[in-house]
Amino acid sequence: MSRSYDRALTVFSPDGHLFQVEYALEAVRKGTCAVGVRGKDVVVLGVEKKSVLQLQDPRTVRKVVMLDDHVCLAFAGLTADGRVLIDKARIECQSHRLTVEDPVTVEYITRHIAGIQQRYTQSGGVRPFGISTLIVGFDPHDTRPRLYMTEPSGIYSAWKANAIGRSSKTVREFLEKNHKDDMTRDETIKLTVKSLLEVVQTGAKNIEISVMESYGKVTNLDLPQIEAIVQEIEREKEAEAERKRSRLAATAAGQAAMSSRVGEAEAAQPSGQQ
Amino acid sequence: MNTFIDRFSTTSAASQVRKLKEQEEDEFSDAAWGSEAGFGNLAKGIPSFSVPSVHDPTAFLRLHTDDHADPNCRIKIQHGTTTLAFRFQGGVIVAVDSRATAGSYIASGTVKKVIEINPYLLGTMAGGAADCQYWETYLGIQCRLHELRNRERISVAAASKYLSNLVYSYKGMGLSMGTMICGWDKTGPAVYYVDSDGTRLKGDLFSVGSGSTFAYGVLDQGYHWDLTDEEAQELGRRSIYAAGHRDAFSGNTCNLYHVKEDGWNFIGNFDISKMHYEGPGNVPGAPGTGYGYDVRVLGRNSSNPPPPEAAPAVAAHA
Amino acid sequence: MDVSFALTGKGYVLVAADTTAARSIVKMKGDEDKIKSLGPHLLMAYSGEPGDTVNFAEYIERNIRLYQIRNLYPLRPPSAASWIRRSLADSLRSRSPYSVNLLLGGYDTSTYTPHLYWIDYLGTMATVPFAAHGYGSYFALSLLDRYHDPEAPLEEGLATLKRCIDEVSKRLVVAPGKYKVKVVDKDGIREVEL
Repeated sequence: MSRSYDRALTVFSPDGHLFQVEYALEAVRKGTCAVGVRGKDVVVLGVEKKSVLQLQDPRTVRKVVMLDDHVCLAFAGLTADGRVLIDKARIECQSHRLTVEDPVTVEYITRHIAGIQQRYTQSGGVRPFGISTLIVGFDPHDTRPRLYMTEPSGIYSAWKANAIGRSSKTVREFLEKNHKDDMTRDETIKLTVKSLLEVVQTGAKNIEISVMESYGKVTNLDLPQIEAIVQEIEREKEAEAERKRSRLAATAAGQAAMSSRVGEAEAAQPSGQQ
Repeated sequence: MNTFIDRFSTTSAASQVRKLKEQEEDEFSDAAWGSEAGFGNLAKGIPSFSVPSVHDPTAFLRLHTDDHADPNCRIKIQHGTTTLAFRFQGGVIVAVDSRATAGSYIASGTVKKVIEINPYLLGTMAGGAADCQYWETYLGIQCRLHELRNRERISVAAASKYLSNLVYSYKGMGLSMGTMICGWDKTGPAVYYVDSDGTRLKGDLFSVGSGSTFAYGVLDQGYHWDLTDEEAQELGRRSIYAAGHRDAFSGNTCNLYHVKEDGWNFIGNFDISKMHYEGPGNVPGAPGTGYGYDVRVLGRNSSNPPPPEAAPAVAAHA
Repeated sequence: MDVSFALTGKGYVLVAADTTAARSIVKMKGDEDKIKSLGPHLLMAYSGEPGDTVNFAEYIERNIRLYQIRNLYPLRPPSAASWIRRSLADSLRSRSPYSVNLLLGGYDTSTYTPHLYWIDYLGTMATVPFAAHGYGSYFALSLLDRYHDPEAPLEEGLATLKRCIDEVSKRLVVAPGKYKVKVVDKDGIREVEL
C-alpha cells in the first residue's frame, strides 16, 4: 500500500524551519486583509473585499462566515483552503452540541481549528492550510466578547484587536496606536473601518463589516451604512488636516510675526539704546 | 465504528471527510489535540472496555445473571435500592439507602450509593453496583480532563450527557444503571436522570430503585421549590426512611448530601431503624420524635365512643 | 405508551404529543417535550424505544442545522422528510437500529403548502393529511377520517385535535394526562394551549 511509503512533505530544514509552514504564511500575507476589534460588549470583524468582476455574482464570495449561532470567522489566505477548514469547524460545532448539549466556547472552536491546522503540518502527504483566521463570538452564559487568531502553524492566541492578511503589520500598528479598552459599539465599528482604510484605498465598496453584540446577535452592515462611516472618517480626517494646516499656517504666521517683531525689536534696540 | 462524527456522514462530501479522518486516525489520534468536545477518546466510539469473547455477550450475561429464570445463577446483580435527588431553592438534596442485596440475601448494609464524582458533582447508584461504580468513576476522570482542557468546570448537562452517550453505546449489552447526576454549575442547581436504556431527563425531582415508589409517596407530597435547607434535608431523610421501611430490598442507613453553590456537603449517615423509633437525632430540621407510624400516632385511635354525658343514661337504664 | 397526533389545515400543521416519560410503572417526568423544532418551519414528534428516541432526534436536529449553516437556507420539508426516512432506513440495516416513530410537520414557504409525513421505525414514509402514532392512533384515525377538513382554519383544527385527545382520555386505559401542542405555519413555529 502507498501508506507504507514516506509521504512526509513538511520536514525541518537544517536550521530548524518548516518551509512549508512559512510558505503558507506567505500565502496569508498575499490574502486580503481582515481586522477584528473587541469593544466593551461588542466585537467587530472587518474584511477587505476583492472587487468582483463585472459579470460575477458577489454573493458567492464570502470571507466572513458563521460557524454556529454565536461564533463568526474571517480568514485571510487561500479561499479554497478556508472553505474546507470552515466546514470542519461547522461540523465540530454541531458535533459538540450533540455530544455535550452545550454550544462550543469561542476558545474551544479556536483550539479545534488550530488543532486541525497543526495536524496538517505534521502529517504525511498533506500540506498546511494557507490561511490565518480571526474568530470572534460570545461564550454561552457570558457577556464578554472574544477575539482569537489562528495561523497555519497551528498557533492560536487571544487579542483585543488584530489584523491578518495583506499589510496586516501596518494595520496592527495602527490598531496598537488607536485601540482603547471599553469602546462603544460605534467607536469599535469606526476603529475597524478606519484601520481597514489604512490598506483599502477604494473605500466603502470594498469593505465588509460584521458586528456581534451579544450571544447570537450578529448584524452585517450594508453598503450605505459603511459609506456613511467612511464619509464621517474622511470628514474628520479633512477637519484634522484643515486644523493642522491652519495650525501650521498660524505657527508660520506667528513665527513670521515673531521674527518681524524680533526684527523690529532689533531695529528698535539701537534706537532705545540711544 | 459507532462514532459521533461517523454518524454525521451520509452525504458523499462528508463521507469523504470521514475517510480522510479515518486515514489520519491511525497515525494521529484526535485525543492528541483535544477534540470531540474535549472528550478526545469519544471520537473513536467508546473507551475500550472488554466484553466477554463469546458469540453473543448479552445472551451470555443473561444466562449467568438472570435470577428470575434461574434462581441458581452464578452472578446475582444488586438490584434493590432507593435513591433520590431533588432540586430546590437552596441547591440539590441527594439521599440514598445503604443496603446491597443479592437475591434475597443482604450482602451489605453499609454501601456508599452516592458517588462523589468531584467536589461539585454527585452521582447516585441504582441497578448494577459495579456498573455504576465503574462508569461514574470513569466519568469523574473525564470531568477532570475536561477541566484541564477547557479551564472551566464541566456543566452538569455535559457530564450527564457524556454518561448517557457512554451507556447508550453499550445498549443491549447488559449494563444496568439508573442514576442521577447532580451538581451546581453556571446555570445553578441541576439534576439529570440517566439510565442504561440511554434515557436522559432533566428535572426537579427524581427517585430510582425498587423503593422509589415509596420514596415518591413522601417526597412528592412534601416537595415545593421554596423549602428551607433544613426542611429539604428532612424531606430527603424522611423519604429514604419511608422506602427503607416499606421496601424489603432497601434499608439499613440513609446517606444524605446537600449540594450548594460551593460544592457538595455530606450531611450525615442516619440509621433507618433508629429514625423509626427515635428520629434522626439532634440535626437541623428533625421533628424530635421517631418517623414510624406507630411512634407518630402513639396514644391516638379512631374509635368514636358516644359523648360522656350519655353515660348516666346508660346507668339509669341499669 | 407514547401518543402523538398531527393534522394539516389551511396553511398550517398541528403536531401534538404527550409529555410523560415513564419507566416501568413510574412516571419519571410529566413535562417532557417530545416535539423538536428542526428549523424555522419544521417540527418533528418522536416516540418509541427510550434512549433511541432522543438520541435519534438530536442527531437529526444537529444534521439539519448543519445543513442550514452550510447552505444558508434550511431544507424544505419534502427533502428533510426523505433524508430522515433514509437515515432511519440505513439504521434499520445496521448492527444497532433505532426504533423510533416520527411525525414530521413542516410548512414550505416557497410553495405556501403545509406538509405532513408519517414515518415509522421500519423506514416507511407516507404523505398524509393527518396522522397518529401509539395507542392513540386506534381511536384517532377513524375520528379524523370523519372530522378532518383540509381547509379548516386554525381554531377548527385545534377543535378537531381536541376531539382526538378527549376521545383517547375517555377510552384508553393508559391515557396520558398532558399534551404539548405545536403549530407550524407561514410565521414559523409556536406552542399553543388547548
